[in-house]
Amino acid sequence: MDKKLTELVDKALSRRVFLAGSGAAAATLIAGCSSSPVVTVPTTTPTPTPSYDPVDYLNFALNLEYLEAEFYLRAATGAGLSAADTGNATTTVTVPSTTLVPGLTATQQAYLYEISQNELDHVRFLRSALGSSAVSRPNIDLLNSFNSLAAAANIGSSFNPFESYENFLIGAFIFEDVGVTAYLGAASVLMALSGGSAYLGAAAEIMAVEAYHAAEIRTLLIADSVATASKTATMVTPNNTYVNMANSISKLRYDLGGGNETTLTPLPPYALPFVPTAYTPASSIVAADTTNSIAFARTADEVLHIVYGVPEGPGVVGGGFFPNGMSGNISTTLR
Amino acid sequence: MANLETKLIDEVIVSGRRKMLALGGAALASLAFGGVRVVQAASYTDSDILNFALNLEYLEAQFYTLATAGTTIDKLKTPIGIGAGTSATGGGTVKTKPGGPAACLVNWTVPAIQAYATEIAQEERNHVTFLRGALGSAAVAMPNLDLYTSFNTLASAAGIGASFDPFSGDDQFLIGAYIFEDVGVTAYTGAAGLITTPANLAAAAGILAVEAYHAGLVRTSIFGLDPTGSVGLQGGTQKISATRMALDGSATVDDIGVGFQTTSTEPASTTLEASTIVDAQTGSPNYSKTYSRTTTQVLQIVTGNPTAPAAGTKYQGVFFPNGLNGLFS
Repeated sequence: MDKKLTELVDKALSRRVFLAGSGAAAATLIAGCSSSPVVTVPTTTPTPTPSYDPVDYLNFALNLEYLEAEFYLRAATGAGLSAADTGNATTTVTVPSTTLVPGLTATQQAYLYEISQNELDHVRFLRSALGSSAVSRPNIDLLNSFNSLAAAANIGSSFNPFESYENFLIGAFIFEDVGVTAYLGAASVLMALSGGSAYLGAAAEIMAVEAYHAAEIRTLLIADSVATASKTATMVTPNNTYVNMANSISKLRYDLGGGNETTLTPLPPYALPFVPTAYTPASSIVAADTTNSIAFARTADEVLHIVYGVPEGPGVVGGGFFPNGMSGNISTTLR
Repeated sequence: MANLETKLIDEVIVSGRRKMLALGGAALASLAFGGVRVVQAASYTDSDILNFALNLEYLEAQFYTLATAGTTIDKLKTPIGIGAGTSATGGGTVKTKPGGPAACLVNWTVPAIQAYATEIAQEERNHVTFLRGALGSAAVAMPNLDLYTSFNTLASAAGIGASFDPFSGDDQFLIGAYIFEDVGVTAYTGAAGLITTPANLAAAAGILAVEAYHAGLVRTSIFGLDPTGSVGLQGGTQKISATRMALDGSATVDDIGVGFQTTSTEPASTTLEASTIVDAQTGSPNYSKTYSRTTTQVLQIVTGNPTAPAAGTKYQGVFFPNGLNGLFS
C-alpha cells in the first residue's frame, strides 16, 4: 500500500505544469531568453559534484532571508539590517538614494512593517539555529538587479521598487513565490539527508509564513487593480497595469527557474449593479499546479538561476541580487 | 499505548538532538523542537496521516463548494467521490442550513471575493481528489459533516453572537473561511513531522503551502475590508483565534487574529504599528514562524472538545458530529 501511495504521489507531482494551455507561449519565452542573458555573467568556474548537508541548505535559506529582510526593512523603515544581524558583514547593499516608500497609507505601512519584521525574525532565527556555522550577509544589489530584471521582463528599462506602493508590490512579488518554492524544494531534500529531518518542522513553519506573504502580495495586487479601476455608473474596469507587470515577472521566473509559475488572473470588468450569477471566474492567488493544487517546489539550483538572473547553464557564481554570489557552499549554478 | 508512544517520541527527539548538537547548536535544539508535541497514536503510517488530512479537506471542499456553487461536491456536474476507497458513494451527509445546499450559495456583492471563493473551492476539491487518488483503496469515506449548527455553536463559544451564517454575505463568508484556514496550516505543519517518505512529505508540504496561501488571502481580504477594526471583522477573527487557542489547550500563544501588533523592527528603539496578516507572533521566542498543532489539538478544535473523550471513543461534535474517519479520530 505504501509503495503504491508513493508511486501515485510521484506520478502526481510529475504532472505539475505551468500555465496549462500556454505551452507555446512559454516555449517562445524560453527560446527568446536563452539567447539573451538577463545580466552579465561575472565569471565561470568548473562545476564540482556537490554534496550538501543540512547546514548548507539552512545557509542557503539564510541568504534568501538576508535578501528579503534588506528589501523589506529598507522599504518600510529606510534602514537595513543592523550589523549584528548580518554577522558583522563587511559587505555592502547597493540601493537607490532613498528606499523609504513614499506616500503610504497607514494600512499599507502596516503591511510593510509586518513583513519586514517577519523577514528580520527569519534572519535572526536561522542565524541562531546555525550558530557559528551561519554565513554572514553577502553583497546584495537592490538597484541594478531590479533594472536588469525589468529589462529582461520587458516592463521597462529601469525599475525602482522603492518608488511607490505599487512598485513595492511588484518588488515583493519578485521574491515571495520564489521563497515558497525554495523552502518546499528543500523540504524533501532535507528529509533525505542525514540529520535533515530535525529541521523540517522549522522549515515548514517558515515556508508557511512565506506563503502567507505571497498570498498577501498577490491579493493586494488584485485589490489595487480594483481600487484604481476606471468606473462609470454602469461599469467597473479594473486597472491591470501592475497585475500585468507582475505576470511579466512571473514569466521571467518561469524561464529562469525551471517553470513552475502561476500568473495572476486579472479581474474582468463587471457591470453595475453587480450580478454574481453572471460572474464566476476564479482568481489565481495561489501559485500551484492546476490539477492537484499542490504548491510548486524548486531545486536550490533553480532558485540560484532566478536570484542571479541567469538562464540555464552551469558555473555561474553570482549576479542579479547577489552580485558576488551567495555565501556558503550552495552558490554556483550546476545546470 | 501511551508508554510506547512516549518512548517513540523520546527516541526521535534524542536522536534528532544528537544530530543537531553534532552540527554545533545547542540553541538550535531548543528552537527547532519548540513546536514538537506528543502525537496521539502509537503506530501509524503515512496513509493514516493523509487520511486525517482528507477528513479536513472534505470539510473545506464542502464549505467552499456550498458557498460558490450551492451544492455539495458529490452533486456537482463532475462529482467527486465521497465513499470509502475508490467508491463514489457511501460517504456521510452534510448538514446545511434550512433551505438546503442551494440556500448556501452566497449572494456575492464583491466580485473579487467571489473570484477568490471560486478559486479556493476548486483548490480544496483538487486536494480531496488528489488525496483520494493517492490513498486509493485506503481512502476513508467522508464522515458526517455539519455546516449549520456547527457555526452557531462556535459563534456562541467565541462570543460573536448566538447564531452565525457564513453563507449570508461576503463578510460572513470570509469569517467562515477564517475559521478553517489557519487550522489547516497548523494541522499540516504538525503532520509534516510525522510523515516518513520524502515523496509524501513533498505532497503534504505542497498542500500546506496552498493552505497558507489561502489563509493569507482570507486574512488580507478581511484586513482590507476592515482596515481599522471599526467594521467588527478584525474583532471577530480575534475572538475566533482565542476560541481555537482555548480548545487546543496550548499553554502558549498559538493563534492570533487579524489586527495590529507593535513591533520594533529596526531601529530597535522605535515601535511600529504592524498588521497581523500572518498568524504568527513576531520577535523572540517565536521569530515569525507559524505554529504547529498535533492531530489531537486539531481534533479538539474541529469537534469543539477541549478535553479527551472516554477511552475508545472518538472526538465528536461541531463540524464532525460523529467524529472523523480513520486512525486519527
